[in-house]
Amino acid sequence: MKMSQMMRKVIGYQWGLYTLSAVGWLLFHAWPLLPGLVAKAYFDRMEAGPAGKGVVVWFALLAVAVGAGRALVTLGGIYFHLPYRYRVQKLIQGNLLHRVLARPGARALPATVGDAISTLRDDVNTVMDAVDLSFDGLAGLLYAGGCVAVLLGVDWQVTLLVFVPIGLVIGLAHAVRVRQVKVREESRASTARLTGALGEIFGGVQALQVAGAEGRAVGYIRALGDARQAAALRERRQALTLEAVFENTAGLGAGLVLLVAAGKIAAGTFSVGDLALFTGYLVDVAGFTGFLGFIINTYRQGGVSLGRLVGLLQGAPAERLVAVEPGGAPGSAGVARLERLEVRNLTCRPGASDRGITDISFAVARGSFTVITGRVGAGKSTLVRAILGLLEPQAGEVRWNGERVERLEPPRVAYTAQVPTLLSGTLRENILLGWPAAPGALDRAIRSAVLEQDLAGFPQGLETPIGTRGLKLSGGQVQRTAAARMFVRDAELLIFDDLSSALDAETEALLWQRVRERNATCLVVSNRPGALALADQVLHLEEGRLVSGTY
Amino acid sequence: MQTYGGFLRRYLAPQAGAVAAMAVLLLGSIGLQLAGPQVIRRFIEAGTPGRAALPELIQWAILFMVVTTAARAVRAMAAYWSERVAWAATNALRIDLLDHLLRLDLSFHKDRTAGELIERVDGDTGALAGFFSRMVVQFLGSGLLMAGILVSLALIDLWLGLGFAAFIILTIMLLNWLRARSVPRRAAAREKQAQVYGLLSEVLSATEDLQSSGAGAHALRRFTERLQEWFPAHRVAELSGSLVWVAGLAAFAAADGVAYLLGGRLFLIGRISLGTLFLVAAYAGQLAQPIETIRREMQELQRAGAGLARVRELFAIRPRVAEGSGLLPAGPLGVAFQGVSFAYEDGVPVLDRLTFGLAPGQVLGVVGRTGSGKSTLARLLVRQIDPTGGRVLVGGVDLRTLAFSSLRSRVAMVTQEVQLFAATLRENLTLFDPSVPDERLRDVLAQLGLGAWSLDAQVAPGSLSAGEAQLLAFARVFLGDPGLIILDEASSRLDPETEARLDEALSRLLDGRTAIIIAHRPATLRHAHAMLEVTSA
Repeated sequence: MKMSQMMRKVIGYQWGLYTLSAVGWLLFHAWPLLPGLVAKAYFDRMEAGPAGKGVVVWFALLAVAVGAGRALVTLGGIYFHLPYRYRVQKLIQGNLLHRVLARPGARALPATVGDAISTLRDDVNTVMDAVDLSFDGLAGLLYAGGCVAVLLGVDWQVTLLVFVPIGLVIGLAHAVRVRQVKVREESRASTARLTGALGEIFGGVQALQVAGAEGRAVGYIRALGDARQAAALRERRQALTLEAVFENTAGLGAGLVLLVAAGKIAAGTFSVGDLALFTGYLVDVAGFTGFLGFIINTYRQGGVSLGRLVGLLQGAPAERLVAVEPGGAPGSAGVARLERLEVRNLTCRPGASDRGITDISFAVARGSFTVITGRVGAGKSTLVRAILGLLEPQAGEVRWNGERVERLEPPRVAYTAQVPTLLSGTLRENILLGWPAAPGALDRAIRSAVLEQDLAGFPQGLETPIGTRGLKLSGGQVQRTAAARMFVRDAELLIFDDLSSALDAETEALLWQRVRERNATCLVVSNRPGALALADQVLHLEEGRLVSGTY
Repeated sequence: MQTYGGFLRRYLAPQAGAVAAMAVLLLGSIGLQLAGPQVIRRFIEAGTPGRAALPELIQWAILFMVVTTAARAVRAMAAYWSERVAWAATNALRIDLLDHLLRLDLSFHKDRTAGELIERVDGDTGALAGFFSRMVVQFLGSGLLMAGILVSLALIDLWLGLGFAAFIILTIMLLNWLRARSVPRRAAAREKQAQVYGLLSEVLSATEDLQSSGAGAHALRRFTERLQEWFPAHRVAELSGSLVWVAGLAAFAAADGVAYLLGGRLFLIGRISLGTLFLVAAYAGQLAQPIETIRREMQELQRAGAGLARVRELFAIRPRVAEGSGLLPAGPLGVAFQGVSFAYEDGVPVLDRLTFGLAPGQVLGVVGRTGSGKSTLARLLVRQIDPTGGRVLVGGVDLRTLAFSSLRSRVAMVTQEVQLFAATLRENLTLFDPSVPDERLRDVLAQLGLGAWSLDAQVAPGSLSAGEAQLLAFARVFLGDPGLIILDEASSRLDPETEARLDEALSRLLDGRTAIIIAHRPATLRHAHAMLEVTSA
């Protein structure tokens, strides 16, 4: 998608508020026509000969009124611009997040979390800045047209000289166009690298502290910071040079006006009022050509940022960025009683490595208990992730009662990851995550997860806030909270990825006993005897292949 | 202003040369800007009917072009130099802040998301960038330009100069008052914004859990709610900030009015020529730029003020775990807990007067139900937290008296949760220490049966299985020479076969070292010489 298409879509989305704010900004930009005319009238009146003192008072009041008027229309424009901008931001960020959440969950982002945040925050803003320039550009045309009309009326020869520098400016802008996008991209990329690395460092702060590696992490960031500084300065140097040339072209134009007017003044056909009008407008035109440079620059930055937004869409059509109905909530509902889950020739190699799973086939019958075993790196987690649709398989399929499915989610299937992630918030929020639980379901889920004793120990019970990523909870408590989150969804099939690894033998036995009481179908990754003892079927993985399936 | 002083001295002093260059360039551009209208005045006077001389007019016109071009070029250079100073200063501040934050303990980090801290370290310091460079010199520069204009006007007529001086003072007072009103509003808006991106970073880190819990829509809803909470604060902050700018615009127009009034009266009584009246109006117009600059810098100042306040707040947080200066002895380290109590929240003790001892070279197994405080015991030993009562001794020394460098190099820990970085395997192993030779790294990997791994391979989140991540964490410990090793459920995610292989390597590692192994499975505790069972509190 091009920046111009994006612009049309965004404006179309909120055209009412956009128009109101555009009118405000248009008036803001075109307003300087008025003080120029007041100045010409004033000097012409002064040059014309004796005047009363009341005349200067009236001119002074007129000048103040013109300024106050501009202030008012500008405030009006800002007043409408804020909600317009907010709604567009909400739309774009919401759509991006929607898309990320619709991606296979274990491969939702193209790079680091920090990188994605930088795109969602800075690039979205840059694109919106570029869209906003549409009314600035329009206002510029209006204002420049007004200026030219007035000046042509005063003196057409002198006026034509104003266009020479403006023509130069536009030609120059095209000449440096190619290079500027590259410099901008470098600068953005180096910022993304820095924020990405900062996110990594803060995410792993405990590992760094325990190893005493804080100083080295700082050194790592320092190097990235220096690289960004160099890239940003290169970008600024170019932008400032361009800006200076833009503005000075108009400044030279003003000098040319003086040169051409010299003859006319000597001949008495060019008044001081005319000169006031010309120099007044030229100062504004100079400002505006500088602004034109800024517009072109921001528009290009917008193009670069738009590319990054499309990158975060990861293959979805670019129109999705501004789609008002992004196509239902991520995830799909649809209850279906499980009769049989079939996995056929499933191959999945996440990342570029050849590790992963190859050609796995098996079936799970209703009410059965299947255990997947195997060594570290054998592909156990990859297998369950591929079944769930958290990873995209390269080949093969998963069939739910014979029907091919790409993602398995509650209420069909619920899952507890090997390393669950909790969010900030209360325990209740973390277990429910917005799930409309039936009455009593929450208590049952907590009991199944053997969490009730821990809960009794928290003074605030379910309303206990847990810190970032549940740090105040012990490892076992985090896993059992995630298990409760799974149970509360009353799914047909439960998938556990090594749930027991943070549980003592006693708790684990209790947990399996309670799972059996639920009569759910289970698919369990585990190497523990407790789980294996319950198995109707054991699948043993070696280097990504199924080497034996015993019943 | 005083609060800014300390920051200025600290971060601008190292680049005194660049700051001086920036100041000289700005002064030069001011002089050239004052000269422009004087040239036009001469031009008009030379063009007065009756004495018009074409060559003289052309001479003034050319001079005008030269002066404008020079003024613009010098201004661009000054702007570039100030950017350079700003970048160097904020980079230095950012590094200091990062360094400080990394020294804060678990009590700080457990309540903050990575996204929130990125916003602090990168967002807030970015807002300070303007403050470091342009602020002072441009404030000064604009002040001097204004003074130059006022002196030029006073030389024409004293009352003219005084009139404009009064006008400027009133304008600046108005702008200042408006600015002061908007600072707290902006701080509130930024706080809300940090919450938006804090939530976002959590959601983006939890995509796997959200999808498999069918909670994608819920996450989107929460995000929208946060945005909705942010907007009213943002709107109030932006409107009150814009008022400062808009008031500046109005004042700029009013300056024309003052020129028409005061200059016009002087012209009407014959005190000044038409050319000089033009000069007065041109200077009044030129006042717009310093007023505008001061307005803009004030806006930067409000952003910087809010950012600075938060940065100072962060700098003011002292780690609850304070560093001592003692050193640990070489060789295996004994451990002693003397009546140690700990509670994450008041009234909910996790450990209550725990006392035990462990001789150097011994291996202690710790068992207990989940949530009984086993991990707390480990966190106390590496000083992620300090006991609320009693003492923890390692090598006979109270941990609180030790230098961190000594503690970190002599006490190592492997936990169930392994923190990986999106960097190369080498960087993940050495934690960004380039001085560790590759030979040594390959040797350790081979010991753990990971000899096939490439050191240059990029470790991305999710590219290693949880078990592989645990092996990597072991490799980190194998690289050092600790006297005390703590394994907190460190092999819980390994299959029996891998665990057996690790076991062999572990026997060699534990030889001649003290160790505490926390596990809930007896099998893992084969190395233990003694056992400790922890029950709730």
